[in-house]
Amino acid sequence: MNCEPLKEGSFKPLQLQPGYIAQNILSQRDKLNRYHSVYYYPVPEGKSGQQVVDGIQKQIELLGAVKTGNFCVDCETFQAGSGIQNTPQRQVNILHSSEQPASCFAILDTGTCLVADALFDGLMQKLKHYYQQRKGSKIESKGQRYEYGDFIFKVGSVSQASNFKGILIEIEYCPCVVAGDCMNLMKEMSQSLLGSAVAEQQSSFLKTKTDMIYTPADTMSQYLEHFNNFKKATSVNQAMNR
Amino acid sequence: MAVSSVTVSVEPVLESKIQEVKLDGQEIYVPPLSMSENLTKLAHKIDFYKDESDEKGKPTSEGEKDEAEEKVLTSFEQPSWVWDSVRNKLKAAFTEMAVLTDVLNIIKEKRYMVADPVSQDQPDNKPSVLLLAKKRGLVSAGSVLISGAERLKRSHSEHSNRAQDDYFIELLKIRQNWRLKKVGASILGDLTYKTAGSRFFQGGTFEVTKIVDDKTDTSTSHSRGSLEVIIPSELEGVAYIQVEVKSVPEMMDLTSVTLKMPAGLGVIRSDAYWQNKLEVAQNVLFCKELFAQLAREAVQIKSSTPHIVVGNQIITNAFPGIQLSIVLCHYTGKEKKIPQAPQKLEHNHVLEHSLHQLLREVHFKNINYVAPHPVNAMLGMSKRRRLAGPQGTSRRELVEMNVRDTLLEQIIKQTKHAVLRLRTMHVLDELALCIQDPQITAHWSCLNSSLECSVRINITAYGYEAVRSSLVLIIEVDTIQAILKDSRTITLSFEDKALQDLILWQISQHHIQVVQQLAKFHAWTVVSTNFNVGVGDIDLYGTAASLMMASPKGDKILAFRSGAYNKIQMYLKEIDPSEVVDTSPAVTNPKWQKIIGTFQAVDVEKLHGKTFSQKVDMVMAKLTSMS
Repeated sequence: MNCEPLKEGSFKPLQLQPGYIAQNILSQRDKLNRYHSVYYYPVPEGKSGQQVVDGIQKQIELLGAVKTGNFCVDCETFQAGSGIQNTPQRQVNILHSSEQPASCFAILDTGTCLVADALFDGLMQKLKHYYQQRKGSKIESKGQRYEYGDFIFKVGSVSQASNFKGILIEIEYCPCVVAGDCMNLMKEMSQSLLGSAVAEQQSSFLKTKTDMIYTPADTMSQYLEHFNNFKKATSVNQAMNR
Repeated sequence: MAVSSVTVSVEPVLESKIQEVKLDGQEIYVPPLSMSENLTKLAHKIDFYKDESDEKGKPTSEGEKDEAEEKVLTSFEQPSWVWDSVRNKLKAAFTEMAVLTDVLNIIKEKRYMVADPVSQDQPDNKPSVLLLAKKRGLVSAGSVLISGAERLKRSHSEHSNRAQDDYFIELLKIRQNWRLKKVGASILGDLTYKTAGSRFFQGGTFEVTKIVDDKTDTSTSHSRGSLEVIIPSELEGVAYIQVEVKSVPEMMDLTSVTLKMPAGLGVIRSDAYWQNKLEVAQNVLFCKELFAQLAREAVQIKSSTPHIVVGNQIITNAFPGIQLSIVLCHYTGKEKKIPQAPQKLEHNHVLEHSLHQLLREVHFKNINYVAPHPVNAMLGMSKRRRLAGPQGTSRRELVEMNVRDTLLEQIIKQTKHAVLRLRTMHVLDELALCIQDPQITAHWSCLNSSLECSVRINITAYGYEAVRSSLVLIIEVDTIQAILKDSRTITLSFEDKALQDLILWQISQHHIQVVQQLAKFHAWTVVSTNFNVGVGDIDLYGTAASLMMASPKGDKILAFRSGAYNKIQMYLKEIDPSEVVDTSPAVTNPKWQKIIGTFQAVDVEKLHGKTFSQKVDMVMAKLTSMS
């Protein structure tokens, strides 16, 4: 993420570079796995996040998509209380998605992802002596869900502790399960909708997974990547503002 | 100096004999004899009758004196040695024993002496004595048996007469079969299926009472026993569920249904055995629960077809023109109207049994939860639902998982399937009868369920079975899936005309395939085959198939066209090589001469042969010229 250096005496609102989380997940209609791309949409200067969201939504509706409801993806971070000072602190991120209401995704900072039943939250509560929840770490992406033929669009505004952070757009292509097969198709779709700059985002995480069957855990990893980017942006902001 | 001397005491040996040693070790001594007792003892030892001549002779000097003394003392002899007589007797005994031993040894040797049994006189066989003895013996044995039999008879008669015992035994039996509880002074029992999982509101409590029977008529009391059960009034009588599927004219309004009066099935006798009474009452309860559940679902569930609940009847249309009616027939015996003649009711026993099974399944699911039974999570989720979380199941799939059919929907599905299956059978049978030329055989799969079954249809020409067209029909609830030979899948509706069309079309295609095979046998060349002919009249259903083949010499060309509803048409073109048409020099190859000529229609009916393939076979054989 590039940030323009702050000139002395001036105060410029930070321009967040677009970050893409592109996951083209082709999933068969009746199967679980679908290819999802999560794109980060930059909020241009001068506009509020809500305006941008409305604009994108209008665009999608103009395409002919049908609104089918709301969605919400949220993430909480737990940190392992370090007894030993030398070992690095282990972090566990717990993600929930309204698209998979029965599941709970636990992603470690190493990248390992566990898909568990929703009762996993209870387990984390039991472990609260070891895994303490970081205060104010809850971040979520909420918004509308549109269906358009084989595609499903989700326009979400990201907020952390009711602070608006940015916009994440998720595009899902239902028929395909292998990431590599429809990456280009996804690029084309996102290009027409979001512009070529946004469409060029490519998740580093996905580069290794182009030939494997896509799973919901991969979507969550993409979301987590973006959430981490947002958090880093915040902390950098704070560091720079001091 | 004299040391104080040791006291020495002299005492007689007072060792009295031990008479007895008690168990605790105490010794009882024989009391020492007094002087008079001692004298008596010694006197007893004197043998006054002993002959003095046995004694040892004394010296003569003393002998005379002694003799005289002895003679004087002959009346009472004082033996010289008290043990003499004993010794003599022992000696005699010993001698006799020695003699006996010698004799036995000699006998053992068997050379000089042999031992023979002494013949004993037969005892006199007095028959009268024997008879008397036998009679006495028999009489005693007889008396023993008679006493035993009398005892048994007595106990048996007591047993059958005593009503008190009977009641308890019957009570034991009833407790083995039904749940009883003592409330106050009365015994109450439970008829319901509550412990089996039923959640029906109606209770079924019966009471058990004792019969005080004054009648001595044993025949009736035996059949009743001494126990009586009182059934609650709402469960009296006999009930059953009747399911009927019938076809009604399509235009008939559902609201104008005919109400049925339950036929008189007969009531259970009031003096029937308690087990029968209780079973009948339980059946009434079950039927009521079943009907109540169905009626509730019919009213509450919103479905595409409307259901009508009228009194004790539920009526719905399974297909347009097919009506399903479920009636609860409860005959309590108190009805005033008695039908003149019991109407012959159409029962669909399979569906009725299905209904009973479905309700029992509901009961079972209420009680038995699927394993595992976790403490911290929800009970009763199926394995698929439990794995939904870890597998990341989407919302749509979760919703689909939750949808469960109600009892009424399930029975309607089963009815639809049954009707569809019967219709298909009917269509296939009719077609097989009508169409003799290719034979249609149907093989029904033995693996089927109440909602799905399958049949394989083979179309073969008689005599030419090498070519076989087959298709598989999978009969589901609403539709029939037909899978053709080339794996194309066609979904047919419930109309039987659609199936008929499909089979006729397959038959027409089969004809062309048979002719193709025949061409191979006759070495004719197949010039062209087309299973989707785009020219000619449009067929009523499907596409027509055509075939054109040329004889080995190339001078005869046969063409066929067959469609589902059109008769198969055959055309023949004979090429006469002698006919020379103006050939332009551009035509270099003589084969181009063969494309001239016109086709003539051949009347297939007039050809020889029973089946179409035979006819074509014969035609081809005739047309093939060897020269």
